Amino acid sequence: MKIEVFAALKNYFSKEFEIADQLETVADLRQHLGNLNPSSSQLLGMCRFVVQEDLVTDAHPLLANDHVVVLPPSSGG
Amino acid sequence: MDYITEEQLDLPGILAESHHPAAGAVVLFSGEVRNNNIGKKVDYIEYESYVPMASKMMDQILEDARQRWNLNIAVAQHRIGKVKISESAVVVITASAHRSEAYASNRYIIDRIKHEVPIWKCEYFEDGTSVWGGNCNCHTETGDLNKHIYESENG
Repeated sequence: MKIEVFAALKNYFSKEFEIADQLETVADLRQHLGNLNPSSSQLLGMCRFVVQEDLVTDAHPLLANDHVVVLPPSSGG
Repeated sequence: MDYITEEQLDLPGILAESHHPAAGAVVLFSGEVRNNNIGKKVDYIEYESYVPMASKMMDQILEDARQRWNLNIAVAQHRIGKVKISESAVVVITASAHRSEAYASNRYIIDRIKHEVPIWKCEYFEDGTSVWGGNCNCHTETGDLNKHIYESENG
């Protein structure tokens, strides 16, 4: 699946990258990303996940061709 | 008008379009880049956004405010990219029959934009360092990534 990250997450990951591993849910992806870069775990715990342009919960099932966007806590204004 | 823009915000132009014959009160909030934060001199701020979702959310926030306060006008625009000191990064304008509703709804809109809408700032300091800043950490209090604590509700 294709992963796209924003803001402070770019300190830990490429802006866009592919994950080939079979992951069942958003919770699994959150864990997987933390394993890829352990120093990102705290920030990942505060992030919201978007699949096909909709905000989803940790229980949301993932498909191999999903486009997942990871959103750190907002800091606009 | 786009909710998210890379252009300089045209405050006089947006205000000129925000008058309404039934409105006796118009409130304009401009969120601007200041030259200091956490004791350091700020050079400029760079904003980025997940634009499709940010636009949808701002549209919904403005509609919520219009209905809740029966507003004549509610508009907002957030700039992304490099924003210099004293330039406006976000503008919110509300217009209603009386000032109470215009002030309250304006505060509600900017609070929700800052906490919920996927927009982020990176502060660049004069000493050459930079930091992604001002993150919303409400969930540490509320226990839910989608529940926030708004200043407007704390008086």
